[in-house]
Parts: sequence; C-alpha cells; structure tokens
Amino acid sequence: MFNQSTIGGFGNATTPSTANPMKDFEVTQPPDDSISSLAFSPATLSQNFLIAGSWDNNVRCWEIEQSGKSVPKSMQACGGPVLDVCWSDDGTKVFMAGCDKQAKAWDLASNQVVQVAQHDAPIKTCHWIKASNYSCLMTGSWDKTLKFWDTRTPNPMLSINLPERCYCADVDYPMAVVGTAGRQIIVYQLDGKPQQYKVLDSPLKYQHRCVAIFRDKKKTPTGYALGSVEGRVAIQYVNPTNPKDNFTFKCHRSNGAPTGYQDIYAVNDIAFHPVHGTLATVGSDGSFSFWDKDARTKLKSSELMEQPITRCAFNSNGQIFAYAVSYDWSKGHEYYNSSKKNYIFLRSCYDELKPRTSS
Amino acid sequence: MGRKKKKMSKPWCWYCNREFEDEKILIQHQKAKHFKCHICHKKLYTGPGLSIHCMQVHKETIDKVPNSLPNRTNIEIEIYGMEGIPAADLREHERQRLGSVSGTISGSDDEDEPASKRVKPEGLLGNAPGVMSGMPGVMQGMIPPPGMPPGLPMGPMMSMGPMGPQFMHPGMPMMPPHMAMMQGQGGPAKPLFPSAIPCSSPGASIVGADFKPISSAATISAPPTTNTPSSSDGAKVNTIATTGATSKIIHPAEDISLEEIKSRQPKYAKTIPTKSDETASSSSTTASDMEHVYMQNYLANAVSAAQQAAVQQAKQAEAINHAAMMQRFPVRVSGPPITMALPGGPVMAPMRHTMIPGPPTLIGGHLMRPPPISMPPGMIGVPPGMVYGAHMFPAAPVLTPMMQPRFR
Repeated sequence: MFNQSTIGGFGNATTPSTANPMKDFEVTQPPDDSISSLAFSPATLSQNFLIAGSWDNNVRCWEIEQSGKSVPKSMQACGGPVLDVCWSDDGTKVFMAGCDKQAKAWDLASNQVVQVAQHDAPIKTCHWIKASNYSCLMTGSWDKTLKFWDTRTPNPMLSINLPERCYCADVDYPMAVVGTAGRQIIVYQLDGKPQQYKVLDSPLKYQHRCVAIFRDKKKTPTGYALGSVEGRVAIQYVNPTNPKDNFTFKCHRSNGAPTGYQDIYAVNDIAFHPVHGTLATVGSDGSFSFWDKDARTKLKSSELMEQPITRCAFNSNGQIFAYAVSYDWSKGHEYYNSSKKNYIFLRSCYDELKPRTSS
Repeated sequence: MGRKKKKMSKPWCWYCNREFEDEKILIQHQKAKHFKCHICHKKLYTGPGLSIHCMQVHKETIDKVPNSLPNRTNIEIEIYGMEGIPAADLREHERQRLGSVSGTISGSDDEDEPASKRVKPEGLLGNAPGVMSGMPGVMQGMIPPPGMPPGLPMGPMMSMGPMGPQFMHPGMPMMPPHMAMMQGQGGPAKPLFPSAIPCSSPGASIVGADFKPISSAATISAPPTTNTPSSSDGAKVNTIATTGATSKIIHPAEDISLEEIKSRQPKYAKTIPTKSDETASSSSTTASDMEHVYMQNYLANAVSAAQQAAVQQAKQAEAINHAAMMQRFPVRVSGPPITMALPGGPVMAPMRHTMIPGPPTLIGGHLMRPPPISMPPGMIGVPPGMVYGAHMFPAAPVLTPMMQPRFR
C-alpha cells in the first residue's frame, strides 16, 4: 500500500523528478535548512511520528500515516542549530540538542520545553537510555565530555571525559558506543551505571562520522557499524569470536571510471533495520544503500539525489525508511545554495531489506 | 598398469596445491573453493567464468581467485580440474612431489592445505590488532606472545577484567581472586559485558579500585599510547589527505567534522554567541549572584531549597555529592574523571536563567520532587501552542502489533 502509485502521486506532483529519483513519499513542509537529525517514534506509540532537527534551529514533528501521507503536527524552536534528536522510550517526550550547548526535553502532551542538559560546547549527540534501574539522557559534546542527565535535575548524574570531541554515538541498552575526533572509539556498558568498557583503535583511517549498534540473532547488542568520511564502513564486533568477523567495506564512491578518477564521499549515517538486522547507509554522494552485513552483500543502492543525504532512520517496525536530502557542507560553503529545497523522503522498505539467503 | 599409476601423480589443485584422489573431487573442490561467487554463492566452472559472472551480474571485479595461494591468484588462466595448468607449474609440482616422496606424501599434503587453518588460533591471541590494541599498553602486557609458556602470572592489569574470556590465554587462571568475588555477588555473567556484574553490589569500597581503570581515568591516561595526537583546541592543523592518485575525498581538508565547519559560518554562529555570552558572563558571577538569579525566577519554596543546598554545598559538597551519587547509582566510583556538578553550582545557574519558564523543577538534587506538570499520557486535552493546529498528541501507550499488512 505504502509504495503504490495510486497514493504515490501524492506530493510528487510538485517535485521535479530529479529531486525524487526513487519516487518515494515526500514529507510535507520540510525544514527550511539542512536536516541534521531524524527519529521515528518508539513502538510504544501506535502511530508513527517522525521528528527532524534542522540547522534552521527548529525541530518538527509529523505524523506519518499508513498511506504514506505526512501530517505536520508541531514545531519547537531551539537557541541554535539542532544537531541531534531522540525520543524517550515511552514516546511522550522528544529530546533535542545542538549548537546552543543545551539539550531540551519537549513534552509532546503539554507542548512544553524544559532544558535538561548543559555543555560547554555544542552537543553533537543525544540518546535516551532506559535501564532497569535508571533512565537518563546521554549527551555527547564537542567539549570532550559525555554526560548523563536525569532530566529532572540540573546536574548531570555522571560526566565522563572523552579523549576527544564527540562526533557520533549510538545507544542500544546495555551498550553505548561513542566515536570521537582523532579516530577513537569507546564502548560503554550501561547496566547498573554507565562505565567505560573498552577503548578501541579505529579500524578506519579517516575521520569518524557515524556509528550504529547492531544486535546478534538473540537481539542483544553485539557490535557496531562505524562510518568514516572516506566512503567506508567498518563492521566491528565488541568481542569477536574470530578476528575475521570484523571487516570494512567501501561505499558511497563514484564509479568515475572514464576519467580514472574516483570521488569518495562521506558516509553520513548508518541505520540498522529493526527486524532484519540488515543496514542502510546514506552518503554525501546523495545515495542510500541497503546492505546485508552477514552475507557481506549489497541489497540495493539508490539513484543519486540532487543533494547529499544527511540522515536516515527506520520506523519502529521496519516498514518505513526515512532519509533526509539536504546539504551537508562536504564541499564547503561555496556549494551551499539556500534556495535549494530540503527533502525528507519516506520509502516502504520492509522487503528490500530482507536478507536474501533466508529464502 | 600398477607401475604407471605409481608414477602418475594424484590430481592436484593449481590454486591451492592440494592433492585429491580423483579429478572429480578436485573439480568439486575447485568449484566450491575457488570458483564460487562470494555474492550469490553460484558455483562457476573456471576463474574467468567467475570473473565474468561477477562483472556482469554484480558489477564487481574479481582480481584474485578466492582462497588461492599468493602466487596462484591469477583469475585469467582457464583451469578446470587438471586441465589448463601451465606446463611449467605441472613440471615443478611433479618435481616437488618426487622430492617429498622421500619424506612422506601425507606430510606434504598437510603442509600445503591446512596452513591457513593452523594460523587461526594464533590469530585469536596475537593477530588481532584491531581488537587487542583497545587498551594499549595494558592489553599488550597481558597477552603472552604465542610462544610463551601458558600460565604465566598475570600482572595486576588482569583486574581490568572487561575483555571476553576468549582473549585469555588458555592457560591463564580464569579470574583473579577479587574479580571472582565480585562475580559471586553479581549474577550470571552476560555474554556481551562480562564485567558488568559488580554494579549491583552496593559495596562501593570494593569495586572502587577495580573500576578505576574502566572509568574514564583510563581514557585520560590512555592518550599517550594512542598514536593520534589529540589536536589541541586552538590549533587544528590536522588535515585529511583528500586527494589521492586516483581518487578524491569529497570533504574539506580540515580534519574536523562537517558540523563543526558549518557551525562556524556566520549564519549559524550568530545564533550561538548570544547564548554563550550570557552563559559566560553569568558563570563568572559569584555564588550569591547566582542565587539571586534563582530567586527571580523561581518560587520561594524552591529557592529556599536551592539556598539550603547551596549552603550545604559550600560546607559539605563532597558529602552531598556522595549522597546524590549513592542515590542514583548504587556504586560510587571514586576518581577524578567523574565530575559531579555540584547542586546549584556554576553550571546550573546560568542554565536556569535561560530556561523556558515552567513549573519548578528539581532544585538541590534529589531532595525533592515536583508534582508532575503534564497530564499523564492518555488523558490529554488540547495542548497549548500546537503550531500546525493539530488536536492532540497521542500518547497512549499501545503495545499492539503495528498494522503491518496494511502498511505493505
């Protein structure tokens, strides 16, 4: 239903076909500036809500209907560009963090916003942690700290120093991974109390850009995928049973064979499918790809968008893949064109991400 | 007949030097080991066949025959069983085989094939740089090189604990005594984080020393062992070699994140300083000033609590700190890395000031808890200030399965 052309005509009429080469559903009233963050509501809500943080300082919320239609619901402003957003586990709150060095909790029911975190530098990541004995917001900042906030108190429950500025992080209880500048990776264990578990040398030779935790067959977090600016993703197990379990693969590179010159783009985001365990990567080249890390194969790659894809997200049951098309600054400010429209597209993805070998 | 058979060598695989009883089996072996497409697992018949298959079906180039010896990777030679083997290699193989007959035939067989397999156990211990170097200096000291006798006394570093048992040398004692003790209190070891156990025990003193290396103190002391010079904030001279011989990385040359570069743009930066200025100025004010700020913004009872907390903090900050910590986490980790911002401390005051006015939230840590301001989920009226005029935000926690069929 989601991808059928009868309904698919929606929203596409006004969009030039080059901007939407995959003919996906376009989210209405997209942000006015680059989209920095995307997150779908957790499974605790029966409907699908999508939130997006933007460099225009706003966080927007849409309801995504089964038909693929997006209904703008609400918007909140922050004091600066938003760099990350996340949901609380019960779906009642949205957390947003950004260049104003703060993280705020947006209570959707009351539409009230309360500051819940403060750093000395912009906050790059925020993640909600739901543990058995505590719940808190984890914020990672360019001030080289990782802080944990019980959202009702002004002081962090815990502050952990990072070796470098936080560039990317992911949380899947009881595991957290932080990628920093200087190509460092730190794994934390969250049960009982957040603690450093391991510091790892990077398997990648270039700057870390995104990280996503994956689970094993028993649905326990077991490793992570790390993306770098050099069009490469590393699949890393925290405790590999065999060193060969860890590997890297190239992606988001041009096939510039005629000139003999290849353009290599940054991997902007990685997301794992909640059901299949396969993954999606999006890149500065303006494409998304679906991969099966266990079979080590590419399942699908998209056409190129007009602009880079900055973030992506799966909804809680893995039916919808959302990706944000907007400029990511990878070619500097010269290539920034504020008149170019930003897009968030929705794709029915459940079957495309099925691992092939299972059949 | 018999004489001829003896003279004839067994069929052997050009790619991996393995001998087989029968050419049929050799062909099976080649199809499974050397001519199988790693993407779709289709078994092809020859190296060029595999190459063409991958090119046409998967648009991938295969430059080496899988699982082949380093000097036998050539994908262009068409070999099927014993057919197509270069004459020189045939002769060479025959010569080697005759030479080794004086030894044992099976010996040569062993040497050729399972060599790669024999390496593996070593790899687990010593050949996993990406894994091992996680805690450089520490780990390396720990893992005895493969040649060392097992069961060496472990350094004190073993108390680090958090590496999976597979990293331990087989001969090592599984656990140092104090770790075993902790484990005893904890519960079943978890597969992912074997060292996660001590958290549940309130005996802070026991684990404090043990946690130390795990806590961020280790992170701070680690940098000397990491090869990346952490760029100091002031001078970010690190650059990315964006241009290679045949490729170009589409990224600014500066080795900082795109977001950092972007946020420096005047367009975005202008929104930031307003906040930071305020923060900077107010954070330089004295403690009493901060309390003043509090008073202006918050209800009297909340303020008094804050004052109390602030006064207490001046005298026994450490104690409160400890108490607050104990309340939230059963274990208090001692050590410098965990910085608890003090109640009503400098971090907080400016932050409060800039907050969106709302009902009094917690002041003075965990001492009091405000009544819930928002209605419980599920009984929500029309929230104020909904931008797009939506009616309400559904918050009823429904755990029914999503409507998959319709969605597809």
